[in-house]
Amino acid sequence: MTAPALEARSLTRRFRDNVAADDVTFQVDFGEVVGLLGANGAGKTTTIRILAGLLPPTSGQAFLLGSPPSRASRRRLGYVPQGLGLYGDLTVRENLAFAASAFGVEPATLIDPLAGASDRIVSNLPLGLQRQLSFVTALQHDPEVLILDEPTSGVGALAAARLWDRIRDESDKGVGVLVSTHSMQEARQCDRLLLMFDGRIVGRGTESDIVAGMTTVEVAADSWSDAFSVLANDGLLVTLNGTKARVIDLAPADVEAKLREHGIEADVQVVPSTIDERMASLSIRAPAWKEDGSLSRVFPTPAS
Amino acid sequence: MRAMILKEFRELRRDRRTMAMIIVFPLLMLIIFGYAANFNVESIPTAILGPGAEQVAQQAPDLFDVTVVDSTGTSETAQTLLRDAEAQVAITTDTEPPTAFIDGSSLFAAGKAVGALGRLGDRITVDILFNPDLITSWVLVPALIGYILMFIGTVVTSIGLVRERENGTLEQLAVMPLSPVAVIVGKIAPYFILASIDMVIVTVLAMILFSIPFVGNVLLFGVGAAIFLFVVLGVGVLISTVSQTSGQAIQLAIFFLVPQILLSGMIFPIEAIPWGIRWLSYFMPLTYYTKISQGIMLRGAGLDSLWPAFVVLTVMAVFVFTGAVLRFRRDLTPHRVSEAPVQPEGAPA
Repeated sequence: MTAPALEARSLTRRFRDNVAADDVTFQVDFGEVVGLLGANGAGKTTTIRILAGLLPPTSGQAFLLGSPPSRASRRRLGYVPQGLGLYGDLTVRENLAFAASAFGVEPATLIDPLAGASDRIVSNLPLGLQRQLSFVTALQHDPEVLILDEPTSGVGALAAARLWDRIRDESDKGVGVLVSTHSMQEARQCDRLLLMFDGRIVGRGTESDIVAGMTTVEVAADSWSDAFSVLANDGLLVTLNGTKARVIDLAPADVEAKLREHGIEADVQVVPSTIDERMASLSIRAPAWKEDGSLSRVFPTPAS
Repeated sequence: MRAMILKEFRELRRDRRTMAMIIVFPLLMLIIFGYAANFNVESIPTAILGPGAEQVAQQAPDLFDVTVVDSTGTSETAQTLLRDAEAQVAITTDTEPPTAFIDGSSLFAAGKAVGALGRLGDRITVDILFNPDLITSWVLVPALIGYILMFIGTVVTSIGLVRERENGTLEQLAVMPLSPVAVIVGKIAPYFILASIDMVIVTVLAMILFSIPFVGNVLLFGVGAAIFLFVVLGVGVLISTVSQTSGQAIQLAIFFLVPQILLSGMIFPIEAIPWGIRWLSYFMPLTYYTKISQGIMLRGAGLDSLWPAFVVLTVMAVFVFTGAVLRFRRDLTPHRVSEAPVQPEGAPA
């Protein structure tokens, strides 16, 4: 049986009394794109750094291409860190040449728009181009595994779409991809999702698997702005979907009651939550769970 | 404004290194300057040579600490003793009047000796060797070469390495199939080369501009500089491993550099520093480099007299460089941390 491209077995990492990754278990197979989803501080980067061999776990095991991360296995890894890992004082061409030389391969052939900027100093390039360069640099030695830490953070929609095309191309070639993100749009591009919260994996599967069973109250009112203001001013977590307000963590009857108090008639419906709402819900409930230690009971980790 | 001042104090209180710079550093400077800033040499190692040397030794004033008495010694012996830094003054009695050879590379001791012997008038002939006009730049520049090497080795190297951490490229290096040694050597080799070029430029310019002689062996001088460079480059790497930002690296480098200016014998004669502070001099690499560079450039000293300085620098190079490589290696190839539960801060062990 072929070992998975990446595997985390009960990974835990503590920084003093803070548990950044808590009993994290999952695997990424060849040819699939797995999204590691979570808000800032959820433990995504810590998990990624352990899998890349940049950070030792306090306990548990990380496997990269079937063995603990080593110089040999990292030769087959393409890694795009959140900070890009580019030399700002070097040109595009020089950055590529350095990485290619380190991996013992020929520098990648650039295509536009990077080709047109090949002699420009990297720190003078727009962030979108820098991210593309970081991506090309990570791919030029034909890695079998890609680890991408928020690869489209801060780039425009077009550049992000181009990067995702490349990610899909790589996975189609059989490369296993682990990509961390807090963007729901990006999450939808992944074959499988892992939702992290407070260092733990609290949901896994497709988007619908992760929000399974969780509902949101959707409010359609004649004056949607009044309805939104009333609910938001009441301290509720409200979002807008077109002209409909969406309220999480409150029963439909309670929502109706609050609106009625202010003389607002509305059509209130219970609809499936989105991943965004699932994450928001986690954040709202977190303090209470942490106090009574019941996080595992509220969100038992499903079997992989 | 009050909020700004309060904010600044709160930040400073938590920035221990800056607090150390503000509080500890001035105290350190006060103590070191107070004790080290002393040009007044009170004892000069002296050799008395030739017939009647023992009698002359008994009559020598207290300033001259007679360490060698040799009734068979000649003026050649005297010059050898001064070249090998076994004495700073050598008086030969085989001439009439006797001749006092003075080591001009020991600037302050020489000045004091010239003053004391000058009072004897025609009863003694004074011959100042290696730096006849007692020119300060002749003595200072060889030490300054070491200081320049030290600056490049510690400040520039540590900033170069810390910048990798600040930019996140150190992490990228760690995932590349490069061995930690290859990363370290690849990183510091350019600084080694640049520092060596700087050394050559400064040395040649000093010879041209200040007419400083270079009477010793160039190869030996180069070897000494190379060993010294390994020490200071190692210190630079060590500083980088305990610094998260360039600012922190510069702070630490200042802590390392400034005391060496004062205690290495570069400006103040080590012999004039009280033992309470002087012992620190013997832990400073610049002390030994200064001995080597002044000895070779000005006095033409060879390995037979300079070997202790070479040995100490080599030991320092091995220890510091090994420590630096190990610490840097740890940054690049993390090991498993303790499995034991981590105690919350402040909890009893």
